[in-house]
Amino acid sequence: MAGAPSIEEVIEDFNVLKCMQCGVCSGSCPSGRQASLNVRRLVRKIGRDHAAICDESLWMCTTCYNCQERCPRGIAIVDVILAVRSIAAHEGLILERHRHVAYLLQEHGHAVPIDDTHKEKRMQLGLNSLPSTVHSHPDDLKDVKHLLASCGFGEITGRKE
Amino acid sequence: MRIGVYICHCGLNIAGVVDIEVLLKQVESLDDVVIASDIQFMCSDSGQDKIAEDIEEHNVERVLVAACTPKLHETTFRNVLEKSGINPFLLEIVNIREQCSWVHMDNPRMATQKAFDLIKMGVAKLKFLKPLKIQSTPVSKEVLVIGGGVAGIEAALDLADTGYKVHMIEKEPTIGGKMALLNEVFPTNDCSICVLAPKMTEVVNHPDIELHTLSEITAIEGSVGNFEITGTTQPRYVSEEKCKGCVDECSRVCPVEIPSRFDSGLGKTRAINIPIPQAVPQVAYIDSDYCVGCGLCAQACPADAVEFEQQTIRFQLNVGAIIIAAGYRLFDASRKEEYGYGIYPDVITNMELERLLNASGPTRGRVTCPSTGEIAEEVAFIQCVGSRDESVGNPYCSRVCCMSAMKNAQLLKERYPDIRITIHYIDIRASGEMYEEYYTKTQAKGVDFVRGRVAEIVQEHDDSLSLRYENTLESRIEEKKYDLVILSTGMEADPSAKPIGNMLKMANRPDRFFAVSHPKMKPVDSHINGVFLAGCASGPKEIQVSIAQGSAAASRVMRLLQPGELRTDPLSAHVDSDTCIGCGVCADVCDYGTIKIKNGKAFVDEVSCHGCGTCSAACPVDAISMHHHTDEQVRAQIKAALEVKDEFPLIVAFLCNWCSYASADLAGTSRIQYPTNVRIIKVMCAGRVDPDFVMEAFEMGADGVLVAGCRLGECHYVHGNYHAQTRMENLGEVLKEAGFDSGRLRVEWISAAEGEKFANTIEDFVDYLTAIGPIGSELEEADR
Repeated sequence: MAGAPSIEEVIEDFNVLKCMQCGVCSGSCPSGRQASLNVRRLVRKIGRDHAAICDESLWMCTTCYNCQERCPRGIAIVDVILAVRSIAAHEGLILERHRHVAYLLQEHGHAVPIDDTHKEKRMQLGLNSLPSTVHSHPDDLKDVKHLLASCGFGEITGRKE
Repeated sequence: MRIGVYICHCGLNIAGVVDIEVLLKQVESLDDVVIASDIQFMCSDSGQDKIAEDIEEHNVERVLVAACTPKLHETTFRNVLEKSGINPFLLEIVNIREQCSWVHMDNPRMATQKAFDLIKMGVAKLKFLKPLKIQSTPVSKEVLVIGGGVAGIEAALDLADTGYKVHMIEKEPTIGGKMALLNEVFPTNDCSICVLAPKMTEVVNHPDIELHTLSEITAIEGSVGNFEITGTTQPRYVSEEKCKGCVDECSRVCPVEIPSRFDSGLGKTRAINIPIPQAVPQVAYIDSDYCVGCGLCAQACPADAVEFEQQTIRFQLNVGAIIIAAGYRLFDASRKEEYGYGIYPDVITNMELERLLNASGPTRGRVTCPSTGEIAEEVAFIQCVGSRDESVGNPYCSRVCCMSAMKNAQLLKERYPDIRITIHYIDIRASGEMYEEYYTKTQAKGVDFVRGRVAEIVQEHDDSLSLRYENTLESRIEEKKYDLVILSTGMEADPSAKPIGNMLKMANRPDRFFAVSHPKMKPVDSHINGVFLAGCASGPKEIQVSIAQGSAAASRVMRLLQPGELRTDPLSAHVDSDTCIGCGVCADVCDYGTIKIKNGKAFVDEVSCHGCGTCSAACPVDAISMHHHTDEQVRAQIKAALEVKDEFPLIVAFLCNWCSYASADLAGTSRIQYPTNVRIIKVMCAGRVDPDFVMEAFEMGADGVLVAGCRLGECHYVHGNYHAQTRMENLGEVLKEAGFDSGRLRVEWISAAEGEKFANTIEDFVDYLTAIGPIGSELEEADR
């Protein structure tokens, strides 16, 4: 199984140390206006402190890419966050809620499986009650599970509920 | 041929290690050497006299000096030859101090042997040296100044006051550039036009300055000393001789109202106008993009100055030198969509604010919000718009925007004491003289500074503007309302100057501004002989630096043209037109644009040639020779170095004159010891090393070849080392395909300050070659 890169590799590959702490990322962050995430401080921490992988705000990013679009030093900030999340996941560091999402993906082939409310909404809109994903093709769910299992997704994301 | 060889003891510096007696005996046996002598200190007067006496007494025709590095005393001994009636270029200096006695102190026997090899190589080269002549060509003492901004004005006035005839080319209808549009200037808060206008007037009144407004350069031929310039002047449709500059008479009757370009489009003017009240020349012009040709202005003009029949005029000039002071353009703020410039009326640029503050601007000095016409109460400056921003391709700092925002904040505070101002910055750059004090003064006036690049401006439902940003000093995401937002737009290279750069084959930096010859040591010289740069054409600058550069460029021109003639560099390239096939490869690699193909043959302008030899190495038919570093001279050195292989491994090293050769000298003066296995051949540039030289060295038995030049990006001939790099990489592939270990060819970039690196390179190379064995052993192994 291929492991995650080291945090040093992430810092080098993405030129994280080029950051000048201008704050356009944090100012542009829709999540940061609501949640505890401060992208600027997170990027600074990633460049200097291994404890960044334990930082809970790592998981607050919605990956909207606003910051990455605007970064004046051309740092691929969201890609950095994703790479560091990957490292954290390999270390077993995932927020409980995200673990649950990973579990749902493995079990149902959807991070957010459909429920009755959404089925009803779809029908009101004149759509089939189920989207044309594994929800409509239960046989293919096996393949999805196989695929996830073969890359060790279940092991990495922790426990089986 | 009668050669005299002189070996210097340099006290004990050489003689303490090298066995001079043994050496002399060996040298005496060389062909054509009629006299070999040792001298205690050859550079002393008595040492020089001894050579001069021998030349007379023994009828010596060529001289070899084995002593210290040629960088110290080449000129000294050339003078000795010249005084003795021998062409000064019939001298060869062999460096047995820095390359033998000082670096092989523990191995006197091999140091002596190596010294003999080096002398043998020198004698071999000496036999092929040719007497060279320095020729002079007369130059034009006229100078072209491109751009009539403050840098160009300063340069033109300095030159004209010294007696040079200056042609100033300006594409706009008035000179003065961006400075003429500014309100007040930091750090003195002087009125900009008040300090500039007298100089503008001086330009137009100066008997030695010919001003061409509304003009452009269309072609440049020739080279330093004699540039042939062709340009065009667009019709002004108003006679410069007749117009009295009253402008009201004609402009008042003009029915076509247009946005005023010189007010950044904020104000209105007419199709016939004078762009700014202080315009020079003080003459109206008709904007042909807008004029409907009704003729009302012609009727109104009391001086009969309107001339609709004017045509584009073509002009030609012959100038000795060119100063490019083409200035900059402002970053187009609408490219930063998140700030809504062009959509939100109350988001304006710093230049627009300059015009609003200006008493002769569109609002006569009232600063109002464009949407309401009211005086603003809450004002924000956003810094670094289009600067320090790789997302728009401008990674550099524009240098002036921090200061100019602070200046305008001060002026607003003075004019409207109740106004509240915030400057949103990333870092405040206030590093000029009296600039930090200016920053302090701005703070003391109550201007607020918030650190954090503004993320976006949003227009609320009530049309008010909100800035979104992180206040990074508080680590707090904030949103704040403002009535007026000023974008401090950065500077960019002016694309209208690009064609001139192309005509002259100027080099551009990755940030698109013109590159100077050396960013530290030659701030106003370009790579092209006779072409100089001043002001923002070579990057963002404040006014005082632009003025200083204008003056500096003028003085560089005077230094160049003052003697009235230019001396050719005797080391220049020379084309044998019988051999030349006119393929043009040389013209492509010449980074100075000195080679042109004329009638199917390459032609080198020997006056502007810098003598690097990159063309010579590139020529597929060896039609270009470098005076004083000809192919046959270099080949003779290679052959002499290898005819007796007196140690293993044996390395032939081609070192560039400027850096790598100097690094070997530094290893010597620092007494850094390294193995004796290297024989150095000096070339002017790594780009001179013809792949054939390397192949011949291997064929003759060299175990390794080192090609070393200046560090990449620091070549003394623009990109000579990059040309070398490409060639040697290809050659490495050829070696590999032929079954040789490609590590036998080593390419290094060693600066003049890296004596230790040079020594380490040799040491490491010797270890490598010792491990893989003599040249060809890899082929034998493969056969087995």
